Amino acid sequence: MPVLSSSRWRLLAALAWLAVLGVAGWIAADRLQVSGDLRRFMPEARTPAQKLLLDELGEGPGSRLLMVALSGAAPQALAQQSRELRARLASDDAFVLVANGEQAGLEAIPGHLLPYRYLLGEGVPALDAAALREALQQRVQDLGSPAGAMLEPLLPADPTLQTLRVAESLQPASAPRRIDGVWFDRAGAEALLLVQTRAAGFDPTAQEAALAKIGSAFDAVSAGSASRIESSGPGAFAVKIGARTAHEAGTIGTIDTVGMVILLLLAYRSWKAPILGFLPLGTAGLAGVLAVVALFDGVHGITLAFGFTLIGVVQDYPIHFLSHQRPGVDAWRNVRALWPTLGTGVASTCIAYLTFLFSGVDGLRQLAVFTITALATAALATRYLLPALVDPATRDFADSPALDRLWRAIARLPRPRWSLAGVALAALAALWFAPGAVWQNDLSRLTPVDAADLQRNAQLGTELGAPDVRYVLTVRGRDVEQALQRSEALRGWLADEISTGGLQHYDLAARYLPSARTQRERQQRLPAPARLRADLQAALVDSPFRADAFEPFLADVETARGAAPLRPADLAGSPFAASLDSLLLQGGDHATALVSLSGLRDPVAFAAAAQAHGAVLMDLKQASESLVAAYRARLLWALAVAALLLVATVGLALRSPRRMRRVLLPMALTTLLVVAVLRMAGTELNLFHLIGLILGAGLGLDYGLFFEHAGEGRQDQLRTLHGLIVCSVMTVLVFALLALSSIPVLRAIGTTVALGVVCNFLLALLVSRHPGGDDHAAA
Amino acid sequence: MLACVVAMPCVAAAEGPDPAVVLRALARPAPSATAFVEIRGSALLKQPLQIGGEYRRPDADTLVREVRTPYRETTTIAHGQAVIAREGKPEQRYALDRVPELAGIQSSFGALLDGDAQALQRQYQVTAQGSARHWQLQLQPRDPALLKRVRAIRLYGDDGELRCIVTEPARGELQRTVLGAAAQAVAQGAGVVAECEQGMAR
Repeated sequence: MPVLSSSRWRLLAALAWLAVLGVAGWIAADRLQVSGDLRRFMPEARTPAQKLLLDELGEGPGSRLLMVALSGAAPQALAQQSRELRARLASDDAFVLVANGEQAGLEAIPGHLLPYRYLLGEGVPALDAAALREALQQRVQDLGSPAGAMLEPLLPADPTLQTLRVAESLQPASAPRRIDGVWFDRAGAEALLLVQTRAAGFDPTAQEAALAKIGSAFDAVSAGSASRIESSGPGAFAVKIGARTAHEAGTIGTIDTVGMVILLLLAYRSWKAPILGFLPLGTAGLAGVLAVVALFDGVHGITLAFGFTLIGVVQDYPIHFLSHQRPGVDAWRNVRALWPTLGTGVASTCIAYLTFLFSGVDGLRQLAVFTITALATAALATRYLLPALVDPATRDFADSPALDRLWRAIARLPRPRWSLAGVALAALAALWFAPGAVWQNDLSRLTPVDAADLQRNAQLGTELGAPDVRYVLTVRGRDVEQALQRSEALRGWLADEISTGGLQHYDLAARYLPSARTQRERQQRLPAPARLRADLQAALVDSPFRADAFEPFLADVETARGAAPLRPADLAGSPFAASLDSLLLQGGDHATALVSLSGLRDPVAFAAAAQAHGAVLMDLKQASESLVAAYRARLLWALAVAALLLVATVGLALRSPRRMRRVLLPMALTTLLVVAVLRMAGTELNLFHLIGLILGAGLGLDYGLFFEHAGEGRQDQLRTLHGLIVCSVMTVLVFALLALSSIPVLRAIGTTVALGVVCNFLLALLVSRHPGGDDHAAA
Repeated sequence: MLACVVAMPCVAAAEGPDPAVVLRALARPAPSATAFVEIRGSALLKQPLQIGGEYRRPDADTLVREVRTPYRETTTIAHGQAVIAREGKPEQRYALDRVPELAGIQSSFGALLDGDAQALQRQYQVTAQGSARHWQLQLQPRDPALLKRVRAIRLYGDDGELRCIVTEPARGELQRTVLGAAAQAVAQGAGVVAECEQGMAR
């Protein structure tokens, strides 16, 4: 091991290490594909709703929708901007659908699909002589009307105007009012657009990119006007909350960093201390990320958040080392003396985390790999690299009179025994009687959307008839055809629901593409050529139309009669392909037709009615919550096994039941107390509380180990006390600030860890402190 | 035909009358009514359709087009909506913005009868030809959506009376609407083109 001789070389080496971390971290951040995909994070789906959510849907049809409102200018100007915005976005691959009500009208149906108009839409028109005569009379009047010029080109092939009827039926189920041909709100003050992103709603990065594209397209089309744009929807919320969380975490992080630097400067009176203190943590984080990247396809965002929280414990390693530095003792000897205690803590924690590897949940496996790698790296960096960088100590913290007085005071404290049992019982009782639900499974509650935003979202949703994000009706079939048939069978019931007010609108794939069976039924209802020609000729007698005016009509009906029914693939590239794709899911051995719903009044009654009609109302929120619950159950099982492993490892290392009890009791009791305090405060526990508890327990284990095995002499115990005080003050500083955050997820971690650290420190002080302290006081 | 029609009289008055003056003279405060005859030609028809009826303005915001022959149909354009009532049929409602032709009628005809030159000029580029006695106004839509369907609307009149509206669609034949006294003449068998464009020569 090369030992650098001069202080300057050591500093250079430390800075070089820091620079390598910086560069590697920057490269890693650049390359890192953080995924927000719940599928990587959650356990395997078990219920049909979970399977639909994870395997096929990934989310509801509503969650990729953004509702866009343009306001702040005259309606005509807004309408113009809406048209230009639509044109720009529609040509961008990031968007599946951009609708603003612009009448694709006749152009909505691509030319090659036109003969199919008798098979699409809501049904076959009557084409007998009487119906044709009536239609022709209406067409005469149409020609004589001001709209005659618009309709004239359509008439030769389509005297019954079936094209218009089909185009009409393919419009969104609930079209808002139009001004200048584009959607507006009822007040006529805001132009409305509906945008469906290609990216998943739960992918904040992609949603942010999509929103940025909408923003810059709007900037281009609105240049020079006073109009504003506003986007609402799950993706927009995710971006907004992500930005707020990042901003708040950034602010807290900055204050924390400044605080930690000041604390380390004060504690060690050396400006190098903050650098040395950071190196193991930085190295650990980087190593953890690299390990996960190497072993898994993508790193889940939550893995990183949980992982970086959990490795907060490694911040303590260099502190213990620095606190034990003293004149006349070589840094290597110092670290060797600390290693058994430090190593026991790290090894037992790592072994405990191993259980996560067998949890069967990808997210937890990632977490285990990240944490174990990071903890081991930090410990090894402290053991084998830090001593080479630290300057010889000029002072011994054991010489501090203040510390000495504190130590004496601590030594005089009683060692509680049975009183702790009373505390534990009280905590258990509190847990039993605490109000409210124990667990909070709604992950979205951790990152709540502003009430004003939600209200606005609901308002826009009503205006645009946007589908419900939470509920979706599903019909399964063994193939696309069967799924379409079964969903078609629901339409009578759904129409009843709308007429009785149970539902506002619905949309389903069969509206765009009827099942092949329905198409064939419609073909059979189309008249044979001779019959149609005869009926048309009868209708044309006494009509102002020329006898040969409708030859193309005869040809089109014959084409429709003989055509092979349209399949989903035939619609690819047409304006309704996107709607069809999002409502018709094709699995390996089955297909699922979705019915998107809006304005659902009574989900419970609706679900029961759905079941009676052979459909299932999926509650996607409930499904995702049940996945969170399943994740947590796996986590708790893993933790239970981890606790046993931890006890066994510590027992093996300490080889004494009494010592083992002294080390482990504070941490166990703290966990119980923190949970009791949180529950008494009415907090519903979530995954982030659990992660906070695990970190708290990890810190508590180290406190216990260090207090218990504080060193041989009084001097050594004073140095340990110094280290533990710096560690705990620093951790409390960091997490207390998080506890003050306005964002529940940060607050959950902050409160839990801050409480845990205080409690662990005090209990470790009372329970685990080295018996030498008592001897000394007695002496 | 059109070329000679346009070429004949207007060459003399290269200056043309002031559109604002013509429009002021045309203004008819509501309520007002005028008979019309419209000729609709189409390749689909054995012969052009001749439609007779009345344009009415019961109030300043409403325009009614009532067809009496050869069938009965009433189109009421008001508040951004067109309501079409046909005998024995349920009323049909259209948002005007979905049917630019209807919107065009409202904006041109309505503004015309209001004598609102400014409103007319917001919608159309207005140019005048002829003399104050026999004038011709050409309206060219400013709205691209309308321009795609209607290339121009030409109005022919004498003094304070609008005699004829000729709509030149982007595709298809010229459509003529003859109004007032000229409409009565056509109803009694006079030639439409004679009553319309060629009326200027009288």
